[in-house]
Amino acid sequence: MSSIDITPPRAAAREKTVSARIWHLALSSVEFRIGLVVFTVLLLATLFYPWLSGIDPLKMAIREKLLPPLFLGEGWSWAHPLGTDQLGRDMLARALVGLRYSLLIGISTTVLMVMIGAMVGLFAGYYGGRVDTVLMRLTDAQLSIPMIILAITILGVSRPTIPAIIVVLGLAGWPVYARVMRSTVMAERKKEYVRGAMVLGATDLRIMFTLILPLVLPPMCFVAVLDIARMMIFESVLGFLGLGVQPPTPTFGNIIADGRKYLMNAWWIATMPGVFLVLTLTSINLMGAALERARNAIYGGA
Amino acid sequence: MPILRFLVRRLFQGAIIVFLVSALIFTLLRIVPGDPVRLMAGGMAPEALIEQIATEMGLRDPIYEQFGRYVGGVLQGDLGQSFVRPANGAAVGGASFDDSTRSERAKVLDLIAQTAPKTIQLALLAMVFALIIAVPIGVWGGLNPGRLPDRLALYLSSVLVSLPNFWLGIVLALLLSVKLNLLPAIGYKGFAYTILPAFVLALEIAPFIIRNLSVSVAGVMGQNFIDIARVRGLTRNQIIFRHAMKNSAVPLLNLLGVQFSMLLGGVLVIEFIFDYPGLGLLTINAVMQRDFPLIQGIAVVTAAAFVLINIVVDLLATTIDPRLDY
Repeated sequence: MSSIDITPPRAAAREKTVSARIWHLALSSVEFRIGLVVFTVLLLATLFYPWLSGIDPLKMAIREKLLPPLFLGEGWSWAHPLGTDQLGRDMLARALVGLRYSLLIGISTTVLMVMIGAMVGLFAGYYGGRVDTVLMRLTDAQLSIPMIILAITILGVSRPTIPAIIVVLGLAGWPVYARVMRSTVMAERKKEYVRGAMVLGATDLRIMFTLILPLVLPPMCFVAVLDIARMMIFESVLGFLGLGVQPPTPTFGNIIADGRKYLMNAWWIATMPGVFLVLTLTSINLMGAALERARNAIYGGA
Repeated sequence: MPILRFLVRRLFQGAIIVFLVSALIFTLLRIVPGDPVRLMAGGMAPEALIEQIATEMGLRDPIYEQFGRYVGGVLQGDLGQSFVRPANGAAVGGASFDDSTRSERAKVLDLIAQTAPKTIQLALLAMVFALIIAVPIGVWGGLNPGRLPDRLALYLSSVLVSLPNFWLGIVLALLLSVKLNLLPAIGYKGFAYTILPAFVLALEIAPFIIRNLSVSVAGVMGQNFIDIARVRGLTRNQIIFRHAMKNSAVPLLNLLGVQFSMLLGGVLVIEFIFDYPGLGLLTINAVMQRDFPLIQGIAVVTAAAFVLINIVVDLLATTIDPRLDY
C-alpha cells in the first residue's frame, strides 16, 4: 500500500478487510494475548520436548515405576518432572505426545466439519426452496442425534483409527455450521452485488464460490477456533472410553483411563495429563472467545 | 387455532426426524463389520448354528426388509428385545450357545423405562445447579459489559468450558469422596449419589449459560425501553428482574433446547465414570456389547425426546414473549 504515506491513518483503517479488523481487535485484548502465549509455549514444548530430551514415551523402566512429580511425595527426581506411571514411563513425555495427537485430531476435525457445514449451508441458503428444505431437515435429523452416541456407536463397532476418528467427529459436528452458513448466505444472496453478477450472466457456482464464500467463510472460521477445543475434549472422551487412538500410543484419554486404576496410590497419573489438557484448552478457548467477541463487536458495529 | 396448527406441523416434522434418525442408525449398524450373533452365541458356537440363529432372527434378510419390520414394531410401541440382556436382570456374560438356563431376553422398552428416571433426575438436578452457578455470574457480567465483572465471567467460562468432564469427575471424586469423605460417588444407593455427578454435569453446562446470559442481558440493557424505565422512575432491581431477565429468558430457553444433545453426551460420560445406573451407562454397555436393538431403541427415544423438548421450548418462548410467532 503506497497510499499509506499520503492518506491519514483513519482512512487506512477503514480500508482494511473485515477479517483484518477482527484480528486486530482480538489481538488488542488481554485474554487473547494470555491465550496466545500459553498456547505457543505448549506448542513448542509438544513439538520439541520429546525430541530434545530424548525420552521415549513408550520406554518402560520398571525400577522407576510410580515416581511422584517434583516436590510431591517421596522419591521424586529431576529426570521425571511429572513423575512416572505404573510401568515407569515418563509422564511429561507421554502427556506432550498425547497433546500432539489431541491437537492433530482437534484441528483436522474442525477443518473437516467447517468444510462440510459450509458446503451444505451454502447450497441450502443459495438455492432455497426444495433443496433448502431437504438439506435443513437432514441437518435437524443430525442435530437430534446426540453426536457422542453416534460417535461411540460407529467407533465401538468398527476399529478406531486416527482417520476414522477424524471422519466420525467431523461428520457428527457439521450441522451447526450448516445452519449459520445458511442464514448468512440467505442474507448475502439478496444483496446487490449478487444480483449484479447474475445480470452479468455469472453462473450460480461462480457466484457461490468466488463471491459469497470468500466473504462469509472467514468470520465463521473465527468462531471455529472454539470448536477445536471442543473436539479435543471429544477426542479425549473417546480415548477415555477406549474408543480413541489405541494404546500404546499415549493420548490424554487413554492415559487418564489407565491412571484411574492407580488413583489411590498414584494420583498423578490420572490428574497430571488432565492439567496439561486443561491448560491447552483454556488457552485455545481464551483466544477463541476473544475472536468471537471481536467478530460480534465488528458485526454489531458495522 | 394457530397453536393447534403449530403443534400438528411440528409433530409431523418431528416424526420425519425420528424416522430419519432411526433409518440412519439402523443402516449404520448393519453395514459395520462385526456379527452380533457371534457375540450372543459365544465364541465356541459352530458356524452352522450361527447362521441358523441369524436366519431365524431375520438378520440375513435385506436391510430394507429388516427396517420395515422394525418400523412396524416401533409404531406398535414395540422396540424389540435386547440381544444380550436377560429379562430377570441377571448378569450378562459368557453363557455358552447351548445354555438351557438362559432365559427370555429383556425388552428394550423396559430397559429404557427402568433407567430413564435416574437420568432425568440427574439431568434436572444438574440443570438446577447450573442455573444457580451461572445466572448470577452471567447477569452480573451482562450488566457491566466490558468492565471487570464481564471480564471475570469470560475468564471463568473459558476455564469451565476447558475442563474435560471425565477428568473433573475423577478429580472431584478423589477430593470430595476419597480424601474428605463428604459425598458418596460410585454407584447408586440413594439420592445422595446423584449430587456429585450432577455437580460435574452442571459445571459442564454452566459456561454456555453464562455466555448466553451475559450477551443477551447486555443486549437488552442497551435497548430504549430500559432507558425509558429509568425515566419512569423504576428502581434498578425492578428494571433488572422485570425487564432485563424476562427478555433474556427466551435466548436461554432456546440454548437449552439446542444444547440438549450436549447435555446427553455429558450424561453418558458422567454416568460411566460414576457407575450411575442411568440411560448413559446403558448406552455405553449396549455399544460395547453390540446390542443393536438396544442402541436403536435409545437413539429413537432420544431423538423423540429432542423433538418434544424443542417443541416445548418454542411453546414456552411464545408464552414468555408474545411478540414471537409460532
